[in-house]
Amino acid sequence: MSEAVLEVENLRVDFRQPGQLVRAVDGLTYSVDRAQTVAVIGESGSGKTVSSRAIMGLLPPTARVTGSIRFDDVEMVGLPEKVMREHRGRGVAMVFQDPTRSLNPTMRIGAQIREAIQTHGEVSRAAARDRAIELLELVRLPAARERLEQYPHQLSGGMRQRVMIAIALAAEPKLLIADEATTALDVTTQAQIMELLRDLQQRLGMALIMISHDLGLAASFADEVVVMYAGRAVERAPTRKLFAHVRMPYTRALLDAIPRLENASHTRLAAVPGQPPNLALRELGCPFTPRCPNATDHCAEHEPAFEEHEPDHLWACWHPCSDEARL
Amino acid sequence: MADLPSDLVVAGVAPRADEAAAAKLGGRWRGSLGVIVPAVMVAFIFGLCFIWPLIGPVPSPTGGTILDSNLAAFSSGHFLGTDAVGNDEWARLLYGGRASLEIALAVQAIGLVLGGLIGAVAAYLGGLRDATIMRLLDVVIAFPGLVLAVAIAQGLGPSKLHTIWALCFFSVPATARIARAATLRVREQTFMVAARLSGTSFPRMLLGHIAPNVVPQLLTYALLGMGIIMILEGALSFVGLGVPPPAPSWGNMIAQGQSTLSAQPRYVFLPSAALFITVVSLNLLGEGLRSRWGAQ
Amino acid sequence: MSSTSAPLSTPLAARAGWGARLAGSPTLRFIVRRLLAAIPVLLGVTFLSFVVMNSLPGDAAQELLGAQATPSEIHQLQVKLGLDQPFLTRYWDWLHNAVIGHLGHSLSSGQSVGSILVSDLPVTFELVALAFLFSLVLAVPIALLCARKPNGVTDRLSMMFSMAGLSIAPYVLALLLVFVFAVKLNVLPAIGWVPPGQSLSQNIEHLILPAVSIGLGLLCFYTRLLRADLLEQMQGEDYVVTARAKGVRPWRVLTRHALRNSLFGLITVVALNLGTLLGFTVVIEDIFGIPGIGHELLQAIDNRDVPVIEGIVFVFAVIVVLSNLAADVLYSVLDPRIRYGRPTE
Repeated sequence: MSEAVLEVENLRVDFRQPGQLVRAVDGLTYSVDRAQTVAVIGESGSGKTVSSRAIMGLLPPTARVTGSIRFDDVEMVGLPEKVMREHRGRGVAMVFQDPTRSLNPTMRIGAQIREAIQTHGEVSRAAARDRAIELLELVRLPAARERLEQYPHQLSGGMRQRVMIAIALAAEPKLLIADEATTALDVTTQAQIMELLRDLQQRLGMALIMISHDLGLAASFADEVVVMYAGRAVERAPTRKLFAHVRMPYTRALLDAIPRLENASHTRLAAVPGQPPNLALRELGCPFTPRCPNATDHCAEHEPAFEEHEPDHLWACWHPCSDEARL
Repeated sequence: MADLPSDLVVAGVAPRADEAAAAKLGGRWRGSLGVIVPAVMVAFIFGLCFIWPLIGPVPSPTGGTILDSNLAAFSSGHFLGTDAVGNDEWARLLYGGRASLEIALAVQAIGLVLGGLIGAVAAYLGGLRDATIMRLLDVVIAFPGLVLAVAIAQGLGPSKLHTIWALCFFSVPATARIARAATLRVREQTFMVAARLSGTSFPRMLLGHIAPNVVPQLLTYALLGMGIIMILEGALSFVGLGVPPPAPSWGNMIAQGQSTLSAQPRYVFLPSAALFITVVSLNLLGEGLRSRWGAQ
Repeated sequence: MSSTSAPLSTPLAARAGWGARLAGSPTLRFIVRRLLAAIPVLLGVTFLSFVVMNSLPGDAAQELLGAQATPSEIHQLQVKLGLDQPFLTRYWDWLHNAVIGHLGHSLSSGQSVGSILVSDLPVTFELVALAFLFSLVLAVPIALLCARKPNGVTDRLSMMFSMAGLSIAPYVLALLLVFVFAVKLNVLPAIGWVPPGQSLSQNIEHLILPAVSIGLGLLCFYTRLLRADLLEQMQGEDYVVTARAKGVRPWRVLTRHALRNSLFGLITVVALNLGTLLGFTVVIEDIFGIPGIGHELLQAIDNRDVPVIEGIVFVFAVIVVLSNLAADVLYSVLDPRIRYGRPTE
């Protein structure tokens, strides 16, 4: 048995839409080891969310998944829905971006957590209730017992996200996917939730995939970073290595877009210039070409391979940045 | 989940051109069929009721003699037989359908113009004036419509014109609400704001900017509403109002047939079937058009 | 808001402060506000019905006395009935009396309008209640089965069936049902009504066909509506994804999660339908010979019995306005999002 909990290999997701096919994920490859944290970074539409939904088997019926997703050495692609369902919650669990919309507004918190507990195994109502309180205490929600009787709208955003995490942990998953789990929260709460996730991960020995558009967040919490662009991985390395030696111009651009403390307040943030490409228009060459400062005619014609150019450091670029490019 | 595909809504050429083209062709065909089939049915019904009596060998729907009464279907000269007083049933069906369709068309036309105008003006003016207009419409809607129509039709006396006026109490407020909602959506769009800022007059704005965006939607709802109006017209006939006999309408034919239901059920079921088929066709056409609009 | 000020109160403490909480509760304030907003609508409806009644040609006194009456006889009766008063005066008098519960007397029978309503309304209510019962009890499971497999066999069949049901006029359906079940099969009565006090089973027996005649259209409407909303919940809502991510079965997601949220919308629509439904009871009661309020209304219109027409229209309007209000209130009481208000934001 390998060290890896999850191995994604050459994953491809196509969406069938009226009159066209849209390739949302194109040949994604990465793996997550036990108790490791991997950050998957990219703009919206880069395929990071779609790839994580593919791992959960939660894509709409219009999606077609090919390639390989091995979880605990079991191939997930092509598994029947019934088996997939067993795997959801117990194998992989997920925390979503918007805790307001992600909780059922018309069900009490307790019922929503109990449901997650009772779905995977015969548990009595009373035992499920005790376990729910335990879970709410685990995610450090004050007054856990009383919360069970409350509705999502009676809680603050941060509390709701703690409830979401409690639900995700209910069946003791081996892998937790946090999909932009802190994006909808204010900065202070964001930090608290991230600390909580890191703490829980270490305590429970879970693997964690952080999906985010925020490289800064990845820098502080992830062991390894995968940068995605236009449905593909474009750079991948252990966090320290990546930030010390950024190679891919797109990663560089994302990094420059992070607000910094040393900048005076009200300085304009450098956004990544240009628009992500149209995924239905398959073109030759590197998809980042139109927005890339290093691009040449060659880039527009030939797509660079995603390869290990330095030990443990993969990227897909004809003209990688040198270490002197910045700092 | 919902934002998954919307993130990816893009146009262009798919990786597999052949597959995409096939999907495109199939999708367009299936989409059109839902509109074309009911449209043909509606056109056929209109043709039968409005044009065929003018050009075909259709006897008079009234003035039959008692000697010819209650003839069975396929009797000589009477394709569907005759009714209790000797009128040709087929002719009565066609002329009755014409009356019912005329009423429904007139009611929906008045509803479209008057209701559309009220709704658009209310939404355009906004604020207190909008609220006042809508509350007034609430008053009309709170009135159990059929009761109101019965009262009006009774007071004015049974006639086709009065039936139309009475039924407008349904179509005008309902259309006004839809027009208001549609106008409100258009109102906030950039081109409208730009037009307002550049001082375009209201009538110009209404014709040039609001109408083109709102009217297609209203027409679709008017089609769906036509079926309801036809059913209500029959209801009025049922309680002794509506189109006064001996002139036929589907409603009064059904109502008159009620008394001989057990002996001569066809007097009820022929016009009932005609009414049903027409309403189904109108509803299918309306639904088809609406899902088309929704898809766009 | 109150919800965040006392979110952790123990049940006992909550009970102690119950009265105070209710007085300041958003729900109660909401109900009061809606009640106040309903008053102008009610005024408008009564005024409108007065205008309609009075702008109609023909004259009640003439109608009562018959064609042979002399002009002076007619005038005397007009004075006696107050019909010679100016329009607004008559409206004011009527309104004033209506508010204190006095709706006048029938011109033809001399019975008080109040007593007519008291005897006829329950009959109509029973019919309407049965129609709603029939439509809702069937619509919910059918919509669930449709939403389970959209575009599956069940779904397509019921969508076809419901399109047909929506297109059939209630009176046509009534005649069809009478023809099949009363004339041909002879299993149900075609006409008439038995008071529930006399025989409840016969009472229900007589109401089955009328209730189905009215209820089938509703059933089809609710089925389509609920199906569409369930699908929207299942395909568009994040909490559904959360439930699926827990590993919950699709059927359970549908019944435990989506249905809860869809039902709130349905309740509102049900209440809004009441007006249309009351309108159709007029025709249906006429066909089946049920002595309900619609039947009474038709007779009153025939006799030009203005006080009875006014009274019935007023009561219909009150029912419609109150049921709309009830829909709003029910919505706010059932839906925890509104019940507890939103947290500090």
